[in-house]
Amino acid sequence: MALIIPAVFIAVFLFAMFKRVKIYDEFSAGVGDAVKFTFSIIPCLTAIFMMCELFEASGLADAFTGFLSPAFEWLGIPGELTKLILIKPFSGSGSLAYLTDVIEKYGADSYISRCACVCFGSSETVFYISAVYFAGMKNKKLAAPVIIVLISTLLTTVLACLLCKIM
Amino acid sequence: MNVIFSVIFFASLAVIAVTAPDRLLSSLLGGAGRAASTALTLFCIYAVWMGLSRVAEKSGFSRGAAKALKPLSKKLFKTENETALENLAMNLSCNLLGIGGAATPYAVKAIGELEKDGNDWAQMLLFVINATSIQLIPSTVIALRTGAGSGAAFDIFLPSLICTVFSTVLATALFTAFYKLKDKRRKLWR
Repeated sequence: MALIIPAVFIAVFLFAMFKRVKIYDEFSAGVGDAVKFTFSIIPCLTAIFMMCELFEASGLADAFTGFLSPAFEWLGIPGELTKLILIKPFSGSGSLAYLTDVIEKYGADSYISRCACVCFGSSETVFYISAVYFAGMKNKKLAAPVIIVLISTLLTTVLACLLCKIM
Repeated sequence: MNVIFSVIFFASLAVIAVTAPDRLLSSLLGGAGRAASTALTLFCIYAVWMGLSRVAEKSGFSRGAAKALKPLSKKLFKTENETALENLAMNLSCNLLGIGGAATPYAVKAIGELEKDGNDWAQMLLFVINATSIQLIPSTVIALRTGAGSGAAFDIFLPSLICTVFSTVLATALFTAFYKLKDKRRKLWR
């Protein structure tokens, strides 16, 4: 599994050498694109992070978690995962931070950690993606697709917790 | 997003103004700081993958990969736009490899191309597929578990695969049904 990434690099570089591409020039140009791209997402990223931080600091995040945990547990999702699941649609790094917490607290091979890992791996940062993908576009009728994706993500989370119990 | 942002921001503001007004500014600054460090992390990931993908693009490597995926993406996205199809194919293959960071720039390019054609169906379908995650290899999670001393870091591979396929298929089906329904209603009203 760990070999896939080196294999991709070797394949691309060998192919490029064979085609006599100026690898150094093109690679740096690609990094230049990355600079531009990173700068273009900073405004949205910063606004959303400020919102998340404020949401946490105000205590509303904890209140929300406490309020929703019983509902999640009724669906078979452990209450310990409530925050991870709620943060994931907004922020990849926020949920990653919380995932590391869960793994450290409960041990890598515990049921809770395995559940958290599967949920993390099979869901995406829905709101973040919607903001980044459609940042410069006129088409912003995203309400329905976002709701559909959130429903699917919730159902998948229920499935993930079930699968981790039996597998 | 504007509505969600305003509601959450305002509610948090109102609460924090009552409970801990002195923490307002520090949490905003903290959020901005975290955004800056995340931007730096993202830049590192993008620098590696966009550098590589530029080399792949110039050598014609990605055109080959796109060609292999083309029949499928043409049918799914209902578009004939060559540039869009190439970017779509690259986006999908990066996602499958579990390098979502590299997939993002291709998606943005593809959505820009589709915008020119006024093809909202394909734009939204691409969003739905990306937002439900299609990962064959959950590389981040496996790396984290190995780091934490897991005895069997790969044992989540199968449940993850089932879940990721389930969520994408379900969301795509729901979205197709929704779009058809909307189309029908629009025709009725005319």
